[in-house]
Amino acid sequence: MEFVLEINTEEMPLPHVKAALQQLKRNFEDELVSQDLVDKKKRPGKIETFGTCRRLIVYGDLIACQRNKEEIIVGPPKSVAFAPDGSPSPAVMGFARSQGVKVDSLEVVSNKKGDYIAVKKIQKGRPAQDVLPQVVPDIINRLSFPKMMRWGTNDFKFSRPIRYVFCILDGKPLSFKVNGISTINFTTGHKLYFPASIKVKSFQEYRRQLKKNKVLIEEKTRKARIMNHIEKKLEPLEAQCYPDEKLLDKLATDVEYPYVFLGAFPKKYLKLPIEILSTAMREGQNLLSVVKGKKQLPVFLGVTDACNDAKGFVSKGNERVLKARLEDARFFWEQDSKIPLKERAENLSQIVFQERLGSYKEKSERIKKIALYLVSKLDAGKKKQEVREAAELCKADLLTEMVREFPSLQGKVGGIYARKEKYPLAVWKAIYEHYQPASLDDPSPASLTGAILAVCDKLDSIVGVLGLEIEISGSKDPFGLRRNAQGICSIVLDKKLDFPFPLLLDKVIKVYEDNLKKNRSELKEICLEFFKNRLEYIFSHLGFRYDLIKAVLSSGVDNIYNIFLKLKALDSLKDNLKFRTLILTAKRVNNILRGQPKYKVNQDLLIEKEERELYTTYSIIRDNVRPLFLSGDFSKAQRIVLTIGSSIDNFFDNVLVMAEDKRIKRNRLALLQQVSKLFSQIANYSEVVIEGEKD
Amino acid sequence: MSIQNLIMNLQKYWTDQGCYLAQSYDMEVGAGTMTPDTFFRVLDKKPWRVAYVQPSRRPTDGRYGENPHRVQKHFQYQVIIKPSPSDIQQLFIQSLATLGIDLKYHDLRFDEDNWESPTIGAWGVGWQVLLDGLEITQFTYFQQAGGIETFPVPVEITYGLERLEMFLEGKDDIYDLQWSDDVSYRDLRIEEEREFSEFNFNHADIKSLQKKFSLTSEEAGKLIEKNLLFPAYDMCLKSSHLFNLLDSRGAVGVTERVKKIAQIRNLVTKIAQKYTSREGSY
Repeated sequence: MEFVLEINTEEMPLPHVKAALQQLKRNFEDELVSQDLVDKKKRPGKIETFGTCRRLIVYGDLIACQRNKEEIIVGPPKSVAFAPDGSPSPAVMGFARSQGVKVDSLEVVSNKKGDYIAVKKIQKGRPAQDVLPQVVPDIINRLSFPKMMRWGTNDFKFSRPIRYVFCILDGKPLSFKVNGISTINFTTGHKLYFPASIKVKSFQEYRRQLKKNKVLIEEKTRKARIMNHIEKKLEPLEAQCYPDEKLLDKLATDVEYPYVFLGAFPKKYLKLPIEILSTAMREGQNLLSVVKGKKQLPVFLGVTDACNDAKGFVSKGNERVLKARLEDARFFWEQDSKIPLKERAENLSQIVFQERLGSYKEKSERIKKIALYLVSKLDAGKKKQEVREAAELCKADLLTEMVREFPSLQGKVGGIYARKEKYPLAVWKAIYEHYQPASLDDPSPASLTGAILAVCDKLDSIVGVLGLEIEISGSKDPFGLRRNAQGICSIVLDKKLDFPFPLLLDKVIKVYEDNLKKNRSELKEICLEFFKNRLEYIFSHLGFRYDLIKAVLSSGVDNIYNIFLKLKALDSLKDNLKFRTLILTAKRVNNILRGQPKYKVNQDLLIEKEERELYTTYSIIRDNVRPLFLSGDFSKAQRIVLTIGSSIDNFFDNVLVMAEDKRIKRNRLALLQQVSKLFSQIANYSEVVIEGEKD
Repeated sequence: MSIQNLIMNLQKYWTDQGCYLAQSYDMEVGAGTMTPDTFFRVLDKKPWRVAYVQPSRRPTDGRYGENPHRVQKHFQYQVIIKPSPSDIQQLFIQSLATLGIDLKYHDLRFDEDNWESPTIGAWGVGWQVLLDGLEITQFTYFQQAGGIETFPVPVEITYGLERLEMFLEGKDDIYDLQWSDDVSYRDLRIEEEREFSEFNFNHADIKSLQKKFSLTSEEAGKLIEKNLLFPAYDMCLKSSHLFNLLDSRGAVGVTERVKKIAQIRNLVTKIAQKYTSREGSY
């Protein structure tokens, strides 16, 4: 039975639409499965959601009516139910009375404890049309958006004002109220061009009618249409659209029926770098840049909402607005060129980074010190000069008109200006890239110098802000510390930066001297804990199993890149049978050792053959894996460690650890401590969960 | 259609929608939102419909009359309706139609833009309205003003008159616009723009601005104590404009900026609290 729901609203931003569709799908599925209106087994695909900036749509293929449910109420045991003459006992009559049934209709059921008198009641399933009006309003009420608003005289909060709610079940209107808004029995086409009401009986018809009235409900279809039209427009030019997935996603949701138009701008603006051109086009007007090969063309693409621009007004209008923006950008470009970056960098003392943490001048001084330290830890001595130069200049663009106009271009503008001023490639690239990655999907800096600069800039902010005891909580992160920490971790993993993280942290804390509120050791602990949480988040985002993540992080954060390699080593072996056995053995070892003080192995006290053998195997393995640990080849190390398995098993089978002779007992514990230490160099195996294992 | 015809059209249209026609406020303000006809009236619980032209000054936007788009004084057409009617978007779209804009041939978009004014402790949710890529209007559901949750929720529609007129006349230069059939924007404004840009950027006396700022903000505080809220609010408006002038003179550091804005906001918030707690306003 078909269910169609449309919540029609004023224009919602893309992240709101995405968030709502996800919640609608999940909540409808959960609720309707629990209401017995969607078959669990056929669950996938039974609820579908669609959305535009003006509508959230839910389509479901539902069961028409809940099944009847049989309920058994158990009464007194059969043994006391009847008198010898077969007449019902008072207990049974009482039971029948309390259930409102006649004694005749009682039955006998058997369970573990024996036979009992019982009554079977049938709870009648309710039809979908009765259930839905009760559950749907609640699902809509529970929707949450990144930012919510009120309107009119309503206390209710939503993304944007709701215009109407349309709902049909099996072709018939379904009426209910959502916070005072009654459902209506029709939908409407495109708001500007086809506002008349449309009545439909099925989802197919709904989709078809809306398409006719300039609304394509599928995001995919709208996007494909945009791509297709772009291709057609660009074919004669033999040019391509400069890729911008984010903008395309936005456009595909911002419009209900896309048309693409092409416009041009005066060639003289081509002197501006492509980043600035494309930002000027994207921000404000949502226009796409066009390139031929790597060359920018003096044209742009735009997407309209259901308007085919028959008279060319849309394209002309956009050209006019864009020209004004580019003229501004050109003006800034020329103004900015008058003062070299170096001079600007001197003036950074005028801009405050954070009141207690000083100016951007001080920040870039700190970045320089930290970055030079990191260079020495990474054995990248050759990079010293360029790191120094880039660090000094990296914040200078904050004082340019261009960044004031296009804040999203910070860093990039500095890099472009440094390029213009003929700084070496490594220097301008590093400046250009040092805000990267802006999110988990954004790439890390490509150059090593850029990576070093980015890590140090971010770490400086994190330590400074945490050092001031500024609280970071669920929604409160004014300095984007979590994003910064994730950025650092991504860079370390992407660029394989192999260095002891706590040492770098010490350096950053030291560079702040005593300008922070928190004392040094406490601050270090807080920072390490903060990074541990971020690493957990990133690793699980990368798809690693949670227990493996915990296993490699259980001893805290040291060399971040090594932690990642260890995790990969564990992950590659997680289904290996030998590994699983080893984990169980390791857990056994750890259990025995729990609470024991540290002992030393005395070889002369190894009397049994199996313990001598274990010691020998252990020694060989230890010597073999040591260089592997140092070189970071944890996969190979892990495989070699695996070979200890049979020796331990033999040991446990034939040797009693808790021997009566205290000296021997301690010696055996010492041996196991050595083995356990070997394991812990990779991970805390006790954290690894083996399927079917009993706790 | 000249600017004055545009204004008359909007006046007619919004009075037909039941708006009271206010006259421009007689003080320097940065936006129509800041005048008492908006600021005080969105705070209480009573229905309110008002429309007016408000000259708006933004000293840092001065370009000596040389930039075809930026001016240090422009004209806003401000509409406030409380509670926001359910068909308000439709009403707005119709207002464009009455200006002779045939939407069949134009692309009208409501693009997310959540307005806020830290100085008066206000924020709202809404859009910038783009017509063929040109921002012609700011459309906002007020959620808070003077630090107070607004309820019923007012909607604000702010047309940028010059922008809209540039669209209607298809002109690239603001100074080429016709105010009336025989008076151009250039005739009326260019000398004023030149002189005020000079004043804003080079000649406004910093010391005297600073002195005046402390005088007006202190006086606002005293007037609040005496429950003279409208005069107190005027003093806040004066302070705000003085702050903007200091800013265009480059005399406000970053921390100083945060401090001064907070200073004005605290005063405005107090005024809002006192106003809403007055008997009868709720």
